[in-house]
Amino acid sequence: MVLHVDNGMEVQEKHKIDFDFREKLDVIADGFRHNYCYQCGACVADCPSHNYSESFNPRLIMLKTLLGFEDELVQPDSEIWNCTNCYTCSERCPQDVRPVDIIIALKNLCVKTGKAPDSIQKISQAVMESGITTKATSVTERRRQELGLNPMKTYPVEDLKKIVEGE
Amino acid sequence: MKYIPFFGCMMTTKYPWFEAAVRRTFDNMGLELVDVDGFTCCPDPIYFQAHDKMEWYTIAARNISLAEELGHDVITTCSGCTATLSEANLALKEDPELKEKINKRLKKIGREYKGTVNVRHAVTVMRDDYGMDRVAKTVTHPLGGLKIAVHYGCHLLKPSRVMRVDDPDRPTILDNLITAAGGRPVHHDKTLLCCGRACMDNSISDHMVMDILDNVVETRADCMGLICPTCFDEFDMGQLILGRKYKKKFDVPVIYAFQLLGLAQGLKPEEVGLHLHKVKVDRLFEKAAG
Repeated sequence: MVLHVDNGMEVQEKHKIDFDFREKLDVIADGFRHNYCYQCGACVADCPSHNYSESFNPRLIMLKTLLGFEDELVQPDSEIWNCTNCYTCSERCPQDVRPVDIIIALKNLCVKTGKAPDSIQKISQAVMESGITTKATSVTERRRQELGLNPMKTYPVEDLKKIVEGE
Repeated sequence: MKYIPFFGCMMTTKYPWFEAAVRRTFDNMGLELVDVDGFTCCPDPIYFQAHDKMEWYTIAARNISLAEELGHDVITTCSGCTATLSEANLALKEDPELKEKINKRLKKIGREYKGTVNVRHAVTVMRDDYGMDRVAKTVTHPLGGLKIAVHYGCHLLKPSRVMRVDDPDRPTILDNLITAAGGRPVHHDKTLLCCGRACMDNSISDHMVMDILDNVVETRADCMGLICPTCFDEFDMGQLILGRKYKKKFDVPVIYAFQLLGLAQGLKPEEVGLHLHKVKVDRLFEKAAG
């Protein structure tokens, strides 16, 4: 079965429609507004990723979410990883779906099911181990000193470990 | 007025001269920055948020709770930190259930998020607290009509429901700051385009960055003026990388808004780290001086 959507683009229905997938996503933080999507396509025209790569289409991502195409969306090479997080779609959406937040919920699901790209774990690990994302290099302190800035402080990594461990 | 600065990771480690520019310009205007010990990464709104949104909210709430002890507003200088801390602050203020969940986690280290301070980007202090007309009065070395292609980037403005900084489609705040500094802001077709950094597929972001640079070149602007260190990364260092990869030459200097203000207030180029940029900016000063 082929689903015909805008501009002659097609979605191959490779998998069974699974409406339970919505509920899976509903329980992830801020991951429930896809249920408001009525597929108007207002999110598409100004989406930068769509304008530079036709295979990225926020409306199709919302449609696949509603239909429960989990195998396609929840993958380390899923198109969701090409979202720029620019939030233009959230500005345009008349239904307050906030597509970026749904895409982030899908990404969270990728992490929970071990299907996220390695780069995600690398960054989250860096924060948990050092307290920061962009690590200082050998020139950082010298530069700070030259600019008259105080030296870097230590980061309370132990506190971070305690607060991220569940509720 | 006193403010608690949140410089984040990138501006403390990779681009400390942006931190210096903010500290010096705030000092020039008599705006006091009160430093707080114990801030961590905001955490990063792209990768860390993609990792786990509840953890992302929790670490952000911990950072905000440190500022709440002093009771001054948090001033962010990186668009990424602005995005994370603003969204977490709003979400926790709007949703008591979420706040309770996060506070259960924070309790383990004896902290509590109360929702008593605002998170604001430093440029909003210029416009809303200090006033652009007063900013203009601190200018001793106006930028001499330097033609500056403004680049707003995404997270200063969007989602506007959260950021509440300016009209996301017709922003003026950076234009007005540049004008106050004696520069001439210019726009082009891609002024509001994303720098693409969050895309996994580099071929998408490469073309976004090159399109923006091509447009800047076409406007015959002297440089780009921007507000986000990630955009800076994409356009300064990125310009060299893309130049090599696609055999193109742009030669567009890229300058952070508070560096421009600092220069206009008479700071020396090296005091705001201009000599550390990958794309050299020297010729601009010859123009401004001459």
